[in-house]
Amino acid sequence: MSGPDSDAGVIVENARATTGEAATPPSVVARVEDLRVTFDRRGTPLHALRGVSLEVRAGEILGIVGESGSGKTVLGLSLLGLLPDDPRPEISGSVDVLGTDMMTGHERDRRALRRRTLGAVFQDPSTSLNPTMSVGQQIVEAAGTRDEAVRLLEAVGIPDPKRRMRSYPHELSGGQQQRVMIAMAIANRPSLVIADEPTTALDVTVQSEILDLIAALRADLGSSFVFVTHDLGVAAEIADRIVVLYAGRLLEEGSTADVLTDPAHPYTIGLLASRLQLRSPRDRPVVSLPGDVPDPESPPPGCPFAPRCELVVEACTDQLIPPIEIPHRAGTAACIRLDDARALRRSMHTGDPWEAPPSIEGAAVQLRGVTKSFTLRSRFGSAVKVDALRGIDLEVARGEAVALVGESGSGKSTLLRIVAGLEQRDGGEMEIGVAAPQMIFQNALASLTPWLTVRELVGERLSGRRVSRAAIDRAVDEALVRVGLTPRVARARSRQLSGGQAQRVAIARAIVDPPGLLLADEPTSSLDVSLRAVILNLLNRLRRDLGLAIMFVTHDLAAARVIADRIAVMHDGTIVELGEAGQVCADPQHPYTRALLASLPGESLETGGAAWQPRSS
Amino acid sequence: MAATELLTTKVRSEGLGLRRLLRSPGLLDRFALFVLVALILVAIFAPLIAPHDPLIPAGPPLTPPGRAFWFGTDQIGYDIFSRVVFGLRASLVGAFVVILSGIVIGGLIGLTAGAVGGWVDSALMRTTDVFLALPAPLLAIAVVAAIGPGFTHTLLAVAIVWWPWYARIVRGEITALRHRPQTEAAKLSGISRRRIWFRHLLPGSLPAVLVLATLDVGGLILILAGLSFLGLGAPAPAPELGAMSAQGLRFLLSSWWIPIVPAAFVAILAFVANLVGDGIRDLMGSME
Amino acid sequence: MLRLVVRRLGEMLVVLLVLTAVVFVLRQLQPADPARVALGGRASTGAVEEYRRELGFDKPLLVQYVTYLGNVVQGDFQASVRTRRPVSEDLAVAIPATLELAAVALLAAVIGGVALGVVGAAKWRGSAVVRGVMIFGASIPVFLLAYGGILIFSRRLGWLPGTGRTSYREFHGPTGLLLVDSLIEGRFDVFLDALRHLILPALTIALLSAVSIGRVLRSSLFTTLHAPYARTARAKGLPERVVIARHGLRNASGPAISMAGLQLGLMFAGIVIVETIFAWPGIGWYMAQSIPTNDFAAIGAVTLILGALYVVINALVDVLQMVADPRIRH
Repeated sequence: MSGPDSDAGVIVENARATTGEAATPPSVVARVEDLRVTFDRRGTPLHALRGVSLEVRAGEILGIVGESGSGKTVLGLSLLGLLPDDPRPEISGSVDVLGTDMMTGHERDRRALRRRTLGAVFQDPSTSLNPTMSVGQQIVEAAGTRDEAVRLLEAVGIPDPKRRMRSYPHELSGGQQQRVMIAMAIANRPSLVIADEPTTALDVTVQSEILDLIAALRADLGSSFVFVTHDLGVAAEIADRIVVLYAGRLLEEGSTADVLTDPAHPYTIGLLASRLQLRSPRDRPVVSLPGDVPDPESPPPGCPFAPRCELVVEACTDQLIPPIEIPHRAGTAACIRLDDARALRRSMHTGDPWEAPPSIEGAAVQLRGVTKSFTLRSRFGSAVKVDALRGIDLEVARGEAVALVGESGSGKSTLLRIVAGLEQRDGGEMEIGVAAPQMIFQNALASLTPWLTVRELVGERLSGRRVSRAAIDRAVDEALVRVGLTPRVARARSRQLSGGQAQRVAIARAIVDPPGLLLADEPTSSLDVSLRAVILNLLNRLRRDLGLAIMFVTHDLAAARVIADRIAVMHDGTIVELGEAGQVCADPQHPYTRALLASLPGESLETGGAAWQPRSS
Repeated sequence: MAATELLTTKVRSEGLGLRRLLRSPGLLDRFALFVLVALILVAIFAPLIAPHDPLIPAGPPLTPPGRAFWFGTDQIGYDIFSRVVFGLRASLVGAFVVILSGIVIGGLIGLTAGAVGGWVDSALMRTTDVFLALPAPLLAIAVVAAIGPGFTHTLLAVAIVWWPWYARIVRGEITALRHRPQTEAAKLSGISRRRIWFRHLLPGSLPAVLVLATLDVGGLILILAGLSFLGLGAPAPAPELGAMSAQGLRFLLSSWWIPIVPAAFVAILAFVANLVGDGIRDLMGSME
Repeated sequence: MLRLVVRRLGEMLVVLLVLTAVVFVLRQLQPADPARVALGGRASTGAVEEYRRELGFDKPLLVQYVTYLGNVVQGDFQASVRTRRPVSEDLAVAIPATLELAAVALLAAVIGGVALGVVGAAKWRGSAVVRGVMIFGASIPVFLLAYGGILIFSRRLGWLPGTGRTSYREFHGPTGLLLVDSLIEGRFDVFLDALRHLILPALTIALLSAVSIGRVLRSSLFTTLHAPYARTARAKGLPERVVIARHGLRNASGPAISMAGLQLGLMFAGIVIVETIFAWPGIGWYMAQSIPTNDFAAIGAVTLILGALYVVINALVDVLQMVADPRIRH
């Protein structure tokens, strides 16, 4: 994003708890000083944090933003004094929370601190709650008394709290489970709550509610929150201040408004630019960061971002770069080329527009009145019939890209699996106008058989034909190059691949013999932000080069908008809205589409002044 | 920075080579592996190692352990050391045969059930579950008692009650794999069913089977020795550790070495086998 | 939940039927003709044929099986070749002795298993040692353990009797369980004597099972203590022992309880050996005595009784777990 400065004023309103640079410096509840944490993975050191310093001020929400491997979760656990200790990691530096050292302090003191003044909310509420203990008992453990527990349940917005006390976690929805977690976290009015990706496992509309709840609780209780997330958009919604972590290093720190509108570090700039938004251009490749996150076993000796940075000079790669005061605004960034970085922001949006996709006669797939229901028989006896699809009509032309967008349970994946032939439809008609559609999966690593090499996996698709081994090998090499890998990758097995590489291999397998119809089941949602853009660009490229029709399943409207010609919004087993992609996003007709658009995190930031309201209850 | 077609070259190294596998276990595990290999070698070369024929009395009966007879002689005058050497052989062969038959029978049933699914799966697994619900060691006693004692009969009896565990575990692994994206992707690749079964499914069950098999060795040695102790193994004077111990029972209070030495070797063999099995399980677990 | 419980009990019945069928088939497999065995070698062929008809051996197998099943259900296991008495009479005397031994052994195994599991899973320096001890415990053949017990505690130290069940052979009570009967009749001397006789054989049988239970409990405790909900509990500031007891053990107990049930199978096989060594007049000893004489009526009966006990207990264990699990209960 180009970051028009006019946005800044609005965002400062959001950050009202910090009240900017007030006359008295806000007191500090937690201070992390040069923290290094190195785990031992069977003799190989794993560098999780490599010298991180920060402070959490009283009453603020501090967003810790980082991709996978950034060390954000380890940082959160360090603040709680709950680092895993078998085997014990090597630790240096200090983590001081309200006068107690959470690294070296006596376990009794740390426990007392957790009990009285700390709270924690973790990523997946379904596993973070004890399945065999009633919700009430679990809250009482934190709150002390039943009355207090009921009050807490009420405070986090659980209806009929007295009755809910007796419920078990599996009887609650994901959003309610997370509310229960929050209720436990705010017991005893904690001074500091650590929330580690508390909304990642939830649907976007639920995520939006939970963010509202946290903002409201902060206002009521005055507690500080550390909000760990991989999503800058979520951090933008909730945080007063943001620190950006990357490969165990703190790269940038500043107020939310500053970091989002005036990012200083090249990584932050790239991260913001590659974030998909409803305003991202559709007619050209989206901005992407090249390369992969460094391997935590062997991080680069200098700036961890140097291998991917356009501005890299020799001094970047020699030694670690300490945080440097940003000259023109408050905050720090660990970069020695801050001046040039500002210019980088403007050069980000260039790129040649896509040529028009080839238009081919005929339909790739035609669906008429397709229905599907499942009988869900839980391991625990009860059986429920669920209508996954209630009469789907959809036609995808050859060479066309259609995105199916919806939340979990909408039936979008079921529809895709029926087209793939992995599920059988109950009723309706389906005609497939192309040979053997191919599919790529959300978890690319899991879609590659681990004991087979990439060459075997990709070449397998050609093995039935009467072609020579050498011809197959050549085709495999070509496919790998086409998806942006070197032919040398052919010798690797899946566990040697990063998430991005694995998805490319999966795509190579799908296109080694171009399939006419490519089915993509959330192929980017388990990838880091910087990699999503790369895969979307790749699919856009392949689609044009090979004349593929694409059915792209996603929960992310912004991604759908970039990849697809048309978007079908699904809800509860039906298509509630179907239209041209830009049209659906800009002028949604169905209330559900509008709700989805409204709950996209970080989106209101860019739409600017009038529509945007700061989060409060 | 907007380059889409970047060639990603770097691939993580293989990581878990054989060297790492051998280097990682603790001292106790390495010691156990050493002893197990030594005992296996002793069993293989039993005729070369045993100083006396195990079936010909070698000295005066009831000689205590000493220089002439390392582990003493028994009530008939057999050299206990020689008989233990041959007894180790019977124990190891027995455990090996039962495990192998378990892997083959159970593996085939498990693979078929897991890969085909549907009613075939239900039918095969219901049958397996019924067998699993019966007390295996007790049934083994009854089976040998019915078909008559003997080494092969004992192995047959234990093999009959042993395979369900392997069927269960192979089926579990295969079923899990069948629903993973990797198998769905393989199906969509249009490859033959045989290739899916043997290239994409079966290898995935090997680690679990290997772990179960190594953990089973110790337990089987104990069970076979127990059956032999009850007189269900090869008829007397055959050198089987369990039977030797049982026949020496009445000398427990006067000539302790006759029942104790063979029993102690059952314990040592089972102990090192269990240690190695446990070590392999830990290694496999950490490789996930 | 009721449906699941009923289904589990139905499965139990099927397994019991299969068990009787297996023993029936094994009886058919015996090389020796039971009629010939019963009448002795000198009986005429005609007499043997007559006896075969009397036993119903000329009827089709299925009819024979149904007859057999009927007999078994009524407690008729035919006559023992060895003792020349109905097997059911022999068993009536032997069963209480075995029940008493098995119950005490199971109790000891569960207590020991829980202790080993918790001690092995907790984070402390000695947990590696506990692992070695557990593996060693799982490797000792039950007869070696029995020898060791007799040599050390009976022969050398003289603390405990080495064989037999009681020193009061004339004592008889209504249940046949000495511990119970002696208390009913207020004979504490008999009670203590019975207890002293029980300790060695019971502990011998229990050790292997205790270790198996301990190993399963250790590994499932290890899993639950690393589960996200255990981290939540620690984040609440709960002391580690509360985390272990309330969050760890409660969720780890399922696999360990199932293992305890399964261990009964091995325990029953161990009972046959241990009763032989300790001259314990139970059904294991009875079975072992019947092996050399190839007395399949006796062997089959013991297999059926111990097998049925095993099947029923495991079914009950499963049902209890269903009742205890809130995810099933609701």
